[in-house]
Amino acid sequence: MATQLAKQNWSGKISTLTIGATKEQGGTRAHAVEIGGEESLPFLFPEGAIPNKPRIAFEIWDVPPKDWTEELVRHYGKVFLDPLEWAQMCVKDYKAELLCLRLQGAHPDCADRSADKEAQLVGRLLKEVDVPLIICGCADDTKDNLVLPAVCEAAKAERCLIGSASQDNYKTLVASVMADGHNIIAESPIDINIAKQLNILISDMGLHLERIAINPTIGALGYGLEYAYSIMERSRLAALSGDKTVASPFICFVGQEAWRAKEAREFGPQQGIIWEAVTATALIQAGADLLVMRHPEAVKKVDRYIEELFRR
Amino acid sequence: MEKFKVKFVPDNKTVEVPEDTTILSAALSCGLYINSACGGEGVCGRCKIILKEGKVTAPPEGTLTPQEKSRHIYLACLTTVHSDIEVEIPSESRLDFENLSPQELELRLKGLYAQSEEIEPKITLPGAKEEFTHSPLTEKLYLELSAPNLEDRVSDLERLYAQIRRLTGIKVIYTGLASIKQLGELLRDSDWKVTVTLGKKDDSCEVINIEPGDTSKRNFGLSFDIGTTTITGQLIDFHSRKILGTRATYNRQATFGSDVITRIIFSQEEQGLEKLHNTVTDTVNQMSHQLIEEHKIDLNDVTCILCTGNTTMIHLLLGVDPKYIRREPYVPTANFLPVIRAAEAGININPRGLLQCVPGVASYVGGDTTAGLLSSGIYRNKDLSILIDIGTNGEIALGNKDFLIAAAASAGPAFEGSGVTCGMRSSRGAIQKVKITPRSLEVTYDTIANAKPRGICGSGYIDLLASMLRAGIIDKNGKFASIQNKGIRNTDSGREFVLVPKEKADSTCDIVISEADIENLKRSKAAIYSATSVLVRHMNLEFGAIKKIFIAGGFGTYLDIESAVTIGLLPDLKREKFVFIGNSALAGARQMLLSHEAVKAAQEIARKVTYFELSVDPSYMEEYTAALFFPHTDLDKFPSLKL
Repeated sequence: MATQLAKQNWSGKISTLTIGATKEQGGTRAHAVEIGGEESLPFLFPEGAIPNKPRIAFEIWDVPPKDWTEELVRHYGKVFLDPLEWAQMCVKDYKAELLCLRLQGAHPDCADRSADKEAQLVGRLLKEVDVPLIICGCADDTKDNLVLPAVCEAAKAERCLIGSASQDNYKTLVASVMADGHNIIAESPIDINIAKQLNILISDMGLHLERIAINPTIGALGYGLEYAYSIMERSRLAALSGDKTVASPFICFVGQEAWRAKEAREFGPQQGIIWEAVTATALIQAGADLLVMRHPEAVKKVDRYIEELFRR
Repeated sequence: MEKFKVKFVPDNKTVEVPEDTTILSAALSCGLYINSACGGEGVCGRCKIILKEGKVTAPPEGTLTPQEKSRHIYLACLTTVHSDIEVEIPSESRLDFENLSPQELELRLKGLYAQSEEIEPKITLPGAKEEFTHSPLTEKLYLELSAPNLEDRVSDLERLYAQIRRLTGIKVIYTGLASIKQLGELLRDSDWKVTVTLGKKDDSCEVINIEPGDTSKRNFGLSFDIGTTTITGQLIDFHSRKILGTRATYNRQATFGSDVITRIIFSQEEQGLEKLHNTVTDTVNQMSHQLIEEHKIDLNDVTCILCTGNTTMIHLLLGVDPKYIRREPYVPTANFLPVIRAAEAGININPRGLLQCVPGVASYVGGDTTAGLLSSGIYRNKDLSILIDIGTNGEIALGNKDFLIAAAASAGPAFEGSGVTCGMRSSRGAIQKVKITPRSLEVTYDTIANAKPRGICGSGYIDLLASMLRAGIIDKNGKFASIQNKGIRNTDSGREFVLVPKEKADSTCDIVISEADIENLKRSKAAIYSATSVLVRHMNLEFGAIKKIFIAGGFGTYLDIESAVTIGLLPDLKREKFVFIGNSALAGARQMLLSHEAVKAAQEIARKVTYFELSVDPSYMEEYTAALFFPHTDLDKFPSLKL
């Protein structure tokens, strides 16, 4: 007699988030990207539908990043000075289907770029490339509260994914995102309770839970990866068991964490690429829906891995 | 060393102290009590005084603002005396329970005790199943002995014992030498008619006192609850079994720190233990003195005192070093203390009178929990119940007649008014009820004794948080929802909501609640809720299985259940399951004073209770962070609050 595999029936479902609006949807993107929608734990295909593959976004900055490692500079160095060129390179050369623009230059300790300047940049970027955008602030609450509303307005109707909202600073961003038709990244410090609380706070303001992506905060391989993994897994289990308040897709900032690791920076180019790829694949197993990455080689490896997973 | 005079106004008290003495200790030495929540560390900023005249030194750091400094405000604990000085103690820096007028005191005591009376098993009603037979710890027995003669040459003492045995059946008896010395003469002078006071010491019995004639109707006892914040005491007539009077006052040890940990730390300083011990015994003596004066009773007729309190408080009462309570593996010197002579602990009743302490369970679950379990009757009910004692050292007990388990939830003093900007203990002028109209954000409030508001007490904070949530002033995380709202303003230390402007208050500043206060209160309520929920889950139970929830504590009597559930302090259960029992520890102590059976029952309870250490439970931290939300991260746990 053939062995019958035990099957879990889940009552919950991860919400589906759409990034980018095409012409028909009121925007100017060539395509929109859907993430989430899982009805089972990662890749347990017999237990429930997994309608969307994990997606990868290339990370680009508004100013030349100072602390990016040599290996990354070797790849991008010449385009660091112009974010538009950088974006073009990702889309044309590396076939990026999503871009994640980090407005680090707005930080008072960095270039202290004004809200106007950042909004103009976003406007130009939207004209330059036609892939959907993820836009992140500079992680200075006061400054982000000035910059992000302007950016939201500049990208009105393009259905971007904008972040980050945190438990202590979410109101301004939620209001702007609601007004201009975007989605929001809700960031919590590797804490399932805070992730859930933030989702409740955001939805209390009137933004639908379906428009939230959770950034659970991750650690790279060797730097707390397993901690992030278990938080994501537990959160997924709660969501699939029917808790709607945590049933949002995950966005993981893999590149910034992986390339911070000493092992990625100091042991030759290949090791850095592998560090980023391994971190990404582990998180995909934990349920990551959207990965923000840096090195095109690493992206290639992870893309191949995703293809393998879905080849059945 | 040179000595200087320190004059305190408006009290007009002067004291002479050596140079370099702090103003805080100068005030203490002339009987003035200044608020000092941190134990003189210069951290809490509660001990502000105004320098009128003279020279002092104070370190430049501290919690004072430049404006305060320009008004000659200093922290009493950090400021030392360097000339003759004059100092004003403003009203907000005082511990002034004793300043209440008799009527206000009466009001407050009624509020405190009305509820606990109701849950008393009626000791005076014979026949009922649960009651304890009347057998006070010290009993007076009137004896008429037959005089000896040549045929009956039994000695005086044996004659006395034989008669006691004949009347009571008690066999093991002993007597102190002092009583024996006076026995021969006393018996003959009183024509062989005497009253003996028998004291029950565990399983034996002692003749404590022998008096001429029949005084058996004049026998009294005291029961005390020594709380970290409040000390309450009762005078009880053993003959009529009635409570003659009840008094409450602050635990003046608060001057040395507001929670047990800072007090244990203080006890390790030079003369620290002695100071703590003396402060509490002085308070007990003062209160019992007031009680017996009031009822015109002779101190010698008070033959017994029974004390309950958390383990640290009992150690300090007896002058036993509490330091090991704080050190791993957290073992107290004693949980079960033998009956001792009250005088040995420095407590003034009949010089040969007895002191019994309610047995405790562990370092952080003390005799107050045992007494609470006794008086709530949880230990003999079939139904599952929970006892939640909301205090600085909150205790939670769960069980029924088959089992009992207890845990300590270090809730912190926020609900008792410490560590929050305008917090105060529940005394005159404390805001205890708050209503905020949604939209218009109109604030209405009630204060204790209807006095001008001076601050906010625990029940006031619970009501205030619930009202702010309902009116949308704060979000579920406890942050102000919008700065545009009326009454919300930005300060250097964050946002705050103005409840009462200073013009309408008996205070030098506006009565406010800040985001930091809300954070503090949120932590306190999360500690209580998560401890309760971990304890319930540890026993593989669900809240639904709990039949009754007894809420005890000094502010429990004013507690608005709906508000307490709204903020997630108490679980969302049918409201009729909640029973307020006020000071359950004192009620239990009284039962024990009146019946040896109750003492046995308490000992049985203390032995039976399993102590559950929350800090070693892996899920506690998780539960705690989940509870750091209003009402809770898991809204399914609060179905009645869902829209």
